[in-house]
Amino acid sequence: MSSADPASGAAASLLAAEAPVRNDRRGLWGLLLVAVPVALVVGLILWPVALSVLDTLSVTTPEGRRFSLAHYRFFLSDGFSLRNLWLTIWVTAVSTGLLLGLSLPIALYLRFSHSRLAGYVQTIALFPLFVPSILLAYALIRTLGPNGTLDTLLNAVGLPKIPSPYLTPWGPIIGLVWDNLPLTLLIVLAGLGNVSQAAVEAARDVGANRLSVLRHIILPRITGTLLVAACFVVLGLFSAFTLPWLLGPTVPEMMGPFMRRTIIDVDQPTQARTQAVVTFLFCAVFAWFYVRSTARNRRENER
Amino acid sequence: MNRRELLQFGATGALVGLMPRIALAESGRIDVYITGDSNIINFWNNIIKPAFEAAHSGYRLNVVSARNNIAPIVDRALAALGSSTDPQVNLFDENDPNLPAGAIEKGLWVDFAKAGLENYDKINPVTKESDYGLPYRGTQVVLAFDTTRLALADAPKTWDELTAWIKANPGQFIYNRPDTGGSGGNFVRRAIHEANGRDPSIFRIDNYTPGESDALLAKGFELLKDIAPSVYGPGSYTADNMQSIQLLAQGVVTMAPVWSDMALAAVNQGVLPETTGFIQLTDLAFAGGFADMTVPSNAAHLDLTMKLCDLVLSPEIQAKVVTEIGAFPAIEWKYLPEALSAKYASLQPASIPVFPGGPWVSAISDGWFRTVAPHVQR
Repeated sequence: MSSADPASGAAASLLAAEAPVRNDRRGLWGLLLVAVPVALVVGLILWPVALSVLDTLSVTTPEGRRFSLAHYRFFLSDGFSLRNLWLTIWVTAVSTGLLLGLSLPIALYLRFSHSRLAGYVQTIALFPLFVPSILLAYALIRTLGPNGTLDTLLNAVGLPKIPSPYLTPWGPIIGLVWDNLPLTLLIVLAGLGNVSQAAVEAARDVGANRLSVLRHIILPRITGTLLVAACFVVLGLFSAFTLPWLLGPTVPEMMGPFMRRTIIDVDQPTQARTQAVVTFLFCAVFAWFYVRSTARNRRENER
Repeated sequence: MNRRELLQFGATGALVGLMPRIALAESGRIDVYITGDSNIINFWNNIIKPAFEAAHSGYRLNVVSARNNIAPIVDRALAALGSSTDPQVNLFDENDPNLPAGAIEKGLWVDFAKAGLENYDKINPVTKESDYGLPYRGTQVVLAFDTTRLALADAPKTWDELTAWIKANPGQFIYNRPDTGGSGGNFVRRAIHEANGRDPSIFRIDNYTPGESDALLAKGFELLKDIAPSVYGPGSYTADNMQSIQLLAQGVVTMAPVWSDMALAAVNQGVLPETTGFIQLTDLAFAGGFADMTVPSNAAHLDLTMKLCDLVLSPEIQAKVVTEIGAFPAIEWKYLPEALSAKYASLQPASIPVFPGGPWVSAISDGWFRTVAPHVQR
C-alpha cells in the first residue's frame, strides 16, 4: 500500500484503531461469562470451605473466639480417629493397586485385540457403571456374604465354606474395585490410544517379546495416564460412603461413615470438619499430582 | 388424532376425574393427615377408608400425606379454635398432643377418656400415654429367632437367659450398630437399663450430665463387652435393621433383635420364613412406642370422626394392623381372633419402656463405638 492513497491509509488506521476495542469488548464478555461459574464456585464452595477450615482452627472461649490447634491435636492424639484414617488409607491403597492391576491387562486386551469377543469383554467391564452402589452392596451381601450364593455353590461341590469378606475391610475393597473398574478402564484405554500400533510392530520386528514391548514401548507412554487414573480413583475412594458403610467393619470405619456419624450421631460438627480437612489434605496431594501430570501432558502435546 | 386433540382430550379427561372430588369437598369429607410412611398411607387408603365409607355412605375419607410437615396443619387447627372457621382436618394419625405447648389447656384436642368411644375399654393400658392421644398401632424391638434351631419354649425370656444363650451359642447372635436403625440401638439401651437396675425412669430427656451419665452408660457397655466375643464375627455388627433380618433369613445367625413391624412384614412378604419366632423379654421389654391419633375438638363432623376412631380400634381393623403392617395392636390381644393372638402372644409387652433422645443419643453412639465395638480384635 502506498502513501499516495490517503483514503485507504486512513481506513487502515481506523481498522487498526478499532480492532483492540473489539478485542477488549470480547474480553469483557468472556470475563462476564466466566464470572457466573467463578462466583458460584467461590460463593458456594470456596467460601464455605474457608469458613469451615477457620472453624477447625479456632475455639470459643468466654472472651471470644481465638486461634487454636486443639481440634487437630485431638484428632492426631485420638487413637480411634487415627485407626479410622489408617484404615481409609489402607483400603484406598489396596483398592487402587487392584484397580490398576486389573484394568491394565483388560485395557491392553481391548486395545490390541480385534476379535468379536473384545466387544463383549468391554460391555461386561463397563457394566458396573450402570449399577448404583447401594444395589451393589446388597447384591454383594447376597452373593459373597455368609451362606450367600458363592458359599452355596462351593458347598454343592463339596468345598468348605469361605470366610466371608462381609463386615471386614475386604468387603468394601471388593465393592469399591467393582464399582470403580469402568472409570479406571476408560481412562487407561484412552491413554493406550496414544500408543501407536506402528511403534509396537516396529519393536516386535526387532525381536522384542510381549514383556519388553510392555516395559519399553507401552508403559513409558501411559505412565501419565496411569497416574491420572490413580488420582481419580484415590479421590473417589477417600470419600466413599455407601459401600464402606454397608459392607465394612463397624470399627475401624472409613472416613466417609466416620464423618457422617460424627456430625449426625455424635453431634460434633467441628470435629467432623476437622476430619474433613484431614481427608481433604490427603486428597489435595493427589489432586496436585493430577494437575501437575495434566499440565505436563499438555506441554508435551504442544511441543 | 393429532397432538393438539390428544392434549385437549387428556385435559378434559383429567378434569372429569377431578370433578367428583370438587363436588364432594363441600359436604361429607373427613380429612385424615398421615405422618407415617407409604405403608401407613396405604393402610389408611386400602383398609380403613373402604370400611369407613361402606359404613357411612355419603361421606368420604380424604387421606393426606403430611410426612414431616404436620406442625403447620396443627397450627392451623389451633388458629381456627374459637372462631367458626373449619380447620379442614379431622384426625392426625400420629401426633404428640403435647405439641405445641399449651394446646391441651386451650382445648384443642379431644379428651378420649371422656369421648365415650365404644372400643376405648379394649385398649391395652400399657399403650396409653395421654388422654388426648388414642394409641392404635405400635412397634417395639423384639427378639426374632429361627424356631428350627431354637424352640419357642427354650427361647430366653430374661436378659440373663439371653446373655447366657449368646455365650453358649457363639456366632449365632448379631445386633446392628446403635447409630443406624433402632433395633440394635434399643438392644444397647436395654443393656444400659439392665446395668442400672432395670429402672427406665433414671433416664430422662433433660437429665443428661456429662461424666455422671456417662458412668451409667459405661456400666451398660461393660455388659455388651462381655458378650462381644460371642456375637457373630466375633465382634461384627450389621449396618442397619434390614441386614440383621437378612442374616437371619440366610440362616447365618439364629437370633437378632428386630423392630416388630419390620420383622412381621418380612414374614408376611416371605423374606423371613414362617418358622421365625418372636419373643419379648419379660423382666424388662426392649424400648418401643405407640402411634397416637389426635382429633382437634373444632373439627367438622366431630361425631363422625369419633366413629372413625372407634372403627380404627375395632378388633377387625386392629387384626389388620397386625397382619397388614406388622404393628402391635393397641387393644388387648384377647379381643383379636384366637389364631392371631396365639401366634403372637409371646410378643405382648407387659410394659413399654422408652429411652430419651437428645444428648443421650450422642453419648450412647460415641461411647459404644469407642469402647464396645473395638473391644474384640478380629
